[in-house]
Amino acid sequence: MSADRDTTRIVRSWLRTDEHESADRVLDTVLALLDATPQRRSWWPARRIVPMNAYAKLAIVIAVVAVVAVAGVSLFSANNRLGGIGGPAATPSTPPASATVAPTPLPTASPTPSAASSPAAAESGWTTGPLATGPHHAQIELCDPRGPRFGCAPDKVAFSFDLPSDQWSSRYEGILEVGTFPDSYAWMWFMGPVHTVGTDPCAGKASSITPTVDGLAQALTTINGTDAVGPTDITVGGIPGKLVELTIHDDIPCAITDFYYLGDVSIHPNAIGSTIRLRIIDVNGSPMVVYSDQTNAELEPQIEHVVDSIRFD
Amino acid sequence: MESDLVVRAQHGDKGAYSLIAADVADRFLAVARRILRDLDLAEDATQQALLAIWQDLPRLRDPARFEAWSYRILVHACYTEGRKHRTWAPNLRILPSDEPVADDELRSVVDRDELERGFRRLSIDHRTVVVLHHFLDLPLDRVAEILGVPTGTAHSRLHYAMRALRAALDAETRPTTTREVAQ
Repeated sequence: MSADRDTTRIVRSWLRTDEHESADRVLDTVLALLDATPQRRSWWPARRIVPMNAYAKLAIVIAVVAVVAVAGVSLFSANNRLGGIGGPAATPSTPPASATVAPTPLPTASPTPSAASSPAAAESGWTTGPLATGPHHAQIELCDPRGPRFGCAPDKVAFSFDLPSDQWSSRYEGILEVGTFPDSYAWMWFMGPVHTVGTDPCAGKASSITPTVDGLAQALTTINGTDAVGPTDITVGGIPGKLVELTIHDDIPCAITDFYYLGDVSIHPNAIGSTIRLRIIDVNGSPMVVYSDQTNAELEPQIEHVVDSIRFD
Repeated sequence: MESDLVVRAQHGDKGAYSLIAADVADRFLAVARRILRDLDLAEDATQQALLAIWQDLPRLRDPARFEAWSYRILVHACYTEGRKHRTWAPNLRILPSDEPVADDELRSVVDRDELERGFRRLSIDHRTVVVLHHFLDLPLDRVAEILGVPTGTAHSRLHYAMRALRAALDAETRPTTTREVAQ
């Protein structure tokens, strides 16, 4: 029964016994989004089936020149209109006035053609995909990490932040990622009110908390299987708040992927050695959490740069 | 996957990519669902992967390597989904039935229940290796290539995962547990 061969047979059989899934719904959605999803062009030519003739090469050269010219004019025009936002001269301490800038991510002066956002992202005030170095603007809904149905701040929060390198990207609203998982990876999450904190994550136990700065900060120090430093006083974007730093015991009795310490259905640490920081501030009467989890200390300066650069509209 | 289709999609041919996506979507969803053990998360991961593949296709240097490259993107999407959310999974137990059940049938149902529990206890790294190797029948060197890890690491993860699953099945054979289930 428990011989390796039998285990393999049972596992293979089990993997194949699930019902057949149809991805038609997913496929329809993807195909509908293709028009709004630009491809990221490489700096090297993709392989071609047939060699290009001289006319095709000439046409490409002309097209490239035209694109560069149009892009140059657009950038010049954008910089004049927005006072150079996105350029290297912009500083985090001079955020754009929201009254003059649409609530979408700021256009940037990145030379790469890959930072375009989808219409859905633009509507939500957040850019997904690779993110350029420099200032970005967000206007997003801040929610419980378990999802919007567990509670969100009453109003969207508008703020700007600065990315210190072009290594950052975003796949979801309010979430930033940098590096390569798992060895040198970090992610940040701009969360809203947190309503539950794990008391014994490996056992699936969590308790409801008062969603306030002090309530969350205090609850974070009581999670079984973690060591907490804090709460300590900090300011984010000029707003006073609390910082709690968590490290995970290396002998937790469950997989790290089952260690859901912010409630029963939220997030787990990247790794045992992760450094997790939760910076909790009160924005418009509702707690906002600037969350970060890094697996490599080399990424810490980048994260702190982002945190220090946050400015609220 | 035909290379010329991939090349056409690399050059922005949406029709070509539609054919590619239609060809791989069901398989992607099946893989994602087995890794994540959750249909909603699997659909999200599949959607993210298919869009990311379209976006990054021009950066694929060798169209002949499309399959491994696309699975790598799918796995990354699964990792992201797995970290981001966890939906409640019912804690299934085998309930007694009025109908007599043959030993083999009960054994099979119990195996599935224990495997599901054992599999969920594995990390997503280990689950991924099991699914790629035992569901897609990919050799471990291909699995390692997709995951971007040394072949030895893929071997190690598979060994650990199968050992854990075997332990889950063995646990079920103990008399006390069997009685609990059969009651």
